[in-house]
Amino acid sequence: MTVTGQEITDYVDRVRAALADLPPEVRDELTEELPEHLAEVAAEGEGTLVDRLGAPEAYAAELRAVAGAQPSRRPARFHRLAEARREAATQLRLLDRQLGPVLGHETVSDFLRPLRPAWWLVRGWLAALIVAWMVDGRSGLVPRLDGNSSTGLLLLIGAIVASMWWGRRSAGITGWRRQLHQIATAALLLFSFAVLAQVDERADTDSYGSYEQTSVDHRYDRIEDVFVYDQQGRLIRDARLFDQNGVPIRLGWPSCMADAGAVPEMRNTYPYCPELAPFGPPASPSIAPPALAPTGSATPTGNATPTTSASPEPTSTP
Amino acid sequence: MDTTQLLKGVLDLAVLAVLKDEDGYGYDILRRLREAGLAEVGDASVYGTLRRLFAAGLLTTYVVPSESGPHRKYYSLNAAGRDQLTRSGKTWRSFATTMDALLDDRGMAA
Repeated sequence: MTVTGQEITDYVDRVRAALADLPPEVRDELTEELPEHLAEVAAEGEGTLVDRLGAPEAYAAELRAVAGAQPSRRPARFHRLAEARREAATQLRLLDRQLGPVLGHETVSDFLRPLRPAWWLVRGWLAALIVAWMVDGRSGLVPRLDGNSSTGLLLLIGAIVASMWWGRRSAGITGWRRQLHQIATAALLLFSFAVLAQVDERADTDSYGSYEQTSVDHRYDRIEDVFVYDQQGRLIRDARLFDQNGVPIRLGWPSCMADAGAVPEMRNTYPYCPELAPFGPPASPSIAPPALAPTGSATPTGNATPTTSASPEPTSTP
Repeated sequence: MDTTQLLKGVLDLAVLAVLKDEDGYGYDILRRLREAGLAEVGDASVYGTLRRLFAAGLLTTYVVPSESGPHRKYYSLNAAGRDQLTRSGKTWRSFATTMDALLDDRGMAA
């Protein structure tokens, strides 16, 4: 046998390709028995399929002519698409009339028609944004070309003028030009939404992104203990903290006492655990806590003594 | 005269005729036609004819599973097909007789 399975497959494919304009079900019907027929032909004699049956295209032409198969005017899936489009258009017209009174007009279209020049303006701006975005790979709310806002301004004016001009002209177009116009408009809206979303995202990160997170806001939960140093860099024991209303500020928890096995008693004096102080008793000026020693000449004493007098009396302000 | 031109007009009748006594699948029908002397009948023409006769409601089909190879689609004449075969057969015979007489009258050898 000189004919391979691949040759049969190729022949079938070419016949089917030559019948591609027929409705799918007709084409399937016509070529359904072809593979086994070709297998029988192949089994019977020598020579290639094309030698014995002629070119697949000729085979297809004969099959089509004898079967009297007519090509469908449009492929079936386009029929369904067109059907869905008509249905959607009908629904839209209905909505147009129903929602019109809400806006104080007979139809929504009546309400929207005078607003068209405004849309042309916005359309020009969006188009300029997209052009700037395509050139620069990024865009702000004002189009820039290579970071240059004056060429960006020219681009903006040009795009708006073109959009206005097109707006006046496009009212009368029909057929495929109209469809192209609609597709382009949809694409413009989609792209500009993406570009604007990007702009918005960057605006967000620009305002906050460059600051490091500190323990200033919503971070009190990370504070375990509070250490207060006096001017000489001595640790103040049993310090009390109050806010502007005289309400004691409670921060952290006495973790060292909890570790020791004792039940921690909640006090409002800091530090809970003086032995865990981040800065030890300063022996020399060089290791004094820098932020707390306002003058370099200050020489702290070697031992930090607890001073109860360091705790201020709460005073309520009206 | 080219036989393929003549075949176009009578292929329907020929296919109905070879299915009169026995059902057959595509390649089988083609073989019967060739064995009967219609050597020039094209493969595609037979399948095209079968499809058209089926669409016209003259044939019924059934699939026979085959153990050694692909399943085969068999064609069989239904009542409408037999009716059509009878009528077309008569038409052809009358037409052929007329043509024979026409040629006979002018002394053409068979």
